[in-house]
Amino acid sequence: MVANRDLVLPGQALAIGPVKPGDYVYVDKKGVLRSTKVGLADIRDGEIRVVPLAGGYIPREGDLVIGTVSKVAGNTILVNINSAYMGIIIPPRGLRGPSRAKYNLSLGDVVLAKVKAFNGASTPLLSIEGEGLGKLRGGRIYVINPTRVPRVIGKRQSMLMLLRDKLGPDIIVGQNGVIWFNPKTLRHALLFEKILQKIEREAHVSGLSDRVLQLIESSGLDEGSGSV
Amino acid sequence: MPLIVEEKPEVLITDEGIRTDGRGPLDIRPIKIQVGILSRADGSAYIEWGGNRILAAVFGPREVHPKHMALPDRAILRCRYNMAPFSTPERKRPGPDRRSIELSKVIREALLPAVFVEKYPGTAIDIFVEILRSDAGTRVAGVTAASLALANAGIEMRGLVTAIAVGRVGDWIVVDPNHDEDQWGDADVPMAFLMEEKLVTLLQLDGPLTEEQFDKALELGSKAADLVYELQKEALRRPYEVVRLEILKGGE
Repeated sequence: MVANRDLVLPGQALAIGPVKPGDYVYVDKKGVLRSTKVGLADIRDGEIRVVPLAGGYIPREGDLVIGTVSKVAGNTILVNINSAYMGIIIPPRGLRGPSRAKYNLSLGDVVLAKVKAFNGASTPLLSIEGEGLGKLRGGRIYVINPTRVPRVIGKRQSMLMLLRDKLGPDIIVGQNGVIWFNPKTLRHALLFEKILQKIEREAHVSGLSDRVLQLIESSGLDEGSGSV
Repeated sequence: MPLIVEEKPEVLITDEGIRTDGRGPLDIRPIKIQVGILSRADGSAYIEWGGNRILAAVFGPREVHPKHMALPDRAILRCRYNMAPFSTPERKRPGPDRRSIELSKVIREALLPAVFVEKYPGTAIDIFVEILRSDAGTRVAGVTAASLALANAGIEMRGLVTAIAVGRVGDWIVVDPNHDEDQWGDADVPMAFLMEEKLVTLLQLDGPLTEEQFDKALELGSKAADLVYELQKEALRRPYEVVRLEILKGGE
């Protein structure tokens, strides 16, 4: 009923019959597969799903997210992760020395964390155990619509690699739409913001990488290729 | 202060079926819809329906305050219908009154079946319907706009909700009553549908109708809703289309 990459709306019939419903697709009483969101249809291997173009961030186990510490209550640390749900970090027991120091977070600190457990009912449990996880020092925070995160990363990380190559290696993209970037100069920071705006606006039109590359080249910041 | 006195027109509808604003009995008033016009809200829509001017905004899913209102298995859906003091011929005293509290409830319940509240446990979804100018049928225009604001906010939905009112003037069943018909007509039936499956989510009745008249009202309302639905879908797509065309043009 719809072609791949068609713009679909909530309730729109996508298919009938032996097609598996993927993300953001439901089956109505008559067996018709329908979209639940505004998005792009994605048909692959007998499965149809909708790549959403609008919506907030709902945590999923295993997601890498960036948040800001919004409350420290005794041992537990509450983190704002740009979602309807507040993230929570609980230091494991029996930690000493440098591994405990990681948990000395204060209000306003920016942390990179992994969603360890979330079942929808209780607060998502975050973990900062692991290499690179924990407090992020320096840099700037950019917030975009979480639905655009896959486009900022790109197919097989192509977009992220492009950005790291052209603007510097210090870019971390959280699944929650929060992006950390440590720019070399203010011009890099401004260009990065422009790029993110472009990605947000034009995510549904193919050929995005080319247009982003064009934007970088026209900015004149290209010379400082960050590849090592 | 000059007193605004409204007068009843001599005829609400002629024998040929011409209404006070020149429409035929089946015609709807002109409608213009824009989606996503409030950057601070998670989703929004603006509708001009006849003389109505209505803004709908959606926030959420977000944390519930006060916390004890949160439900463990689904989101709570809250709705506020509010008329601006300048939305009526005479100044409306600001704040909720009996009527707007009822309409808030009615709009909420018209939209609730469309929303997958169980996908967002422990959160709140807030809908605000602000009437900037009123001209009969604000509740149906409000539902129509609010449904788009929900979709624009990216909240999972079974489908869009479209609302329309149908009235009776004498022996005539008229679609989308205007101010005069609303005020001096004989009956008024606001209704809303979950469009794809044509499920009724709102049905009110004010004034007497025979069974045949009621059936006819429902049928005409359903047909008129189809027209409004097309406008809704077009409005929801438009922002994306505009960007797409702009890029296509620029690429030449």
